[in-house]
Amino acid sequence: MLEKFKDYLRVKAGLTDEQFTAISGKLKTRKIAKGTILLRQGEVCHHSFFVSSGLLRSYTIDTAGKEHIIQFAPENWMITDRSSNYFNEPSELFIDAIEDTEFILVTNEFIDAAACSSQSFQRYDNRALHNHIRHLQSRVSLLLGATAEQRYLDFIKLYTELTLRIPQWMIASYLGITPESLSRVRKELAHKNFKPY
Amino acid sequence: MKTRNIELILTPPAPHMVGDGFRVHNFIPGYRLNMQRMSPFIMLDYNSKFYFPPTDKPRGVSVHPHRGFETVTIAYHGKVAHHDSAGNSGVIAEGDVQWMTAASGVLHKEYHEKEYSKQGGDFQMVQLWVNLPAKDKMSKPQYQEITNASINKYTLPGNNGVIEVIAGQYEDAKGTASTFTPVHLQNAKLNKGAVVPFTFPAGYNTALLVIEGSIRVNGEEKAPADNFVVFKNDGETFTIEALENAVVLVLSGEPINEPIAAHGPFVMNTREEIVQAFNDVNMGKFGYLEE
Repeated sequence: MLEKFKDYLRVKAGLTDEQFTAISGKLKTRKIAKGTILLRQGEVCHHSFFVSSGLLRSYTIDTAGKEHIIQFAPENWMITDRSSNYFNEPSELFIDAIEDTEFILVTNEFIDAAACSSQSFQRYDNRALHNHIRHLQSRVSLLLGATAEQRYLDFIKLYTELTLRIPQWMIASYLGITPESLSRVRKELAHKNFKPY
Repeated sequence: MKTRNIELILTPPAPHMVGDGFRVHNFIPGYRLNMQRMSPFIMLDYNSKFYFPPTDKPRGVSVHPHRGFETVTIAYHGKVAHHDSAGNSGVIAEGDVQWMTAASGVLHKEYHEKEYSKQGGDFQMVQLWVNLPAKDKMSKPQYQEITNASINKYTLPGNNGVIEVIAGQYEDAKGTASTFTPVHLQNAKLNKGAVVPFTFPAGYNTALLVIEGSIRVNGEEKAPADNFVVFKNDGETFTIEALENAVVLVLSGEPINEPIAAHGPFVMNTREEIVQAFNDVNMGKFGYLEE
């Protein structure tokens, strides 16, 4: 399972196999069943999760008990609560498994050790942080000002292959619209683009 | 003509649910067979006989797409209703076959038929995916609804049973299903004691699924119900002997020797074509169908 993460870091962060092997003892691999909760609201998040197979998500639950999905993490994605982890504060998020999932528990010790041994990793880590901020800015702006269709088009660009794995209500929750609105968007797109045979 | 020998006999792997209506053993692609090995048969799910209790809410599989191949549903027990995004719908009942050419793209759903669901009962079906050659993968979707009455049957001499020819040919009985590459698909309904020869070109990938009863192949190896017999490509002819009254699905087809890129419900030739399929589904190019 570590192989996938090693490949990922070689390609994305320029971490050599030797550098990886020297610090890979700071990583742990886990296998969990669909529905397993990895982080609960109120807990402090101490790691990142790298998904090697399966699918994780992060979400909040509002005072009325409704879930709002923040992020999906399929294979080769990382997911965590960055602010809880960095500031050592209780998290507002839940993270759980939508499918049976194998993941790597990436400890802060691993990140620190990788940054010490590789400048290229430092640049990657910095870029990953700014990419995260860019993504959040774009999410805020879409949620405040975009139509349901624009939000859906943004979703399928980012998560092209997830539309067949995730139930409709979860996509709607991520987009901040009702499942009925999502159906309407899809119906309208089909109306524009479907050429019946 | 040379004898075609058995390569392996697979016992049914542990079943898994497809949606909540299909409890299937997956033989192709499986722990022993990949898509290329059994081409043009690239997927075979077998719902062995299973009792579903009565329910008011029909069980099944909700809306999903297909592109790049054909789905063939063969019903032995129970009934399935299907609907697609182009407005087609129908019921596949016991003895019937639905041959759906998904080709460039179909969005459909399959549920147990309403009345069958209300009454409950035994359910036994095969869903087979037949690959399409690259040149036909983006052709027009179509259906062949093959009712049992319309299937040509060859009556074996000596009260030995009948061969129902869905596709291809057995003696003078020709299957009515039209196929893109040479495919033989036949239900051999044999009476106890029958010894029946089958002959297909050695290069065709060939297998048997024992639906009912038990059989002996080539006078040697026995295969009980729900077992899957895969043949080598070392000869043309084999025999099935019915050790008791038996129903056997016989599959034989010319391999399509092209690259396969498969992901979930799409089977194409390249990774780029798979990404395109996802994009097309997401953009509504397969149409829309209510859950």
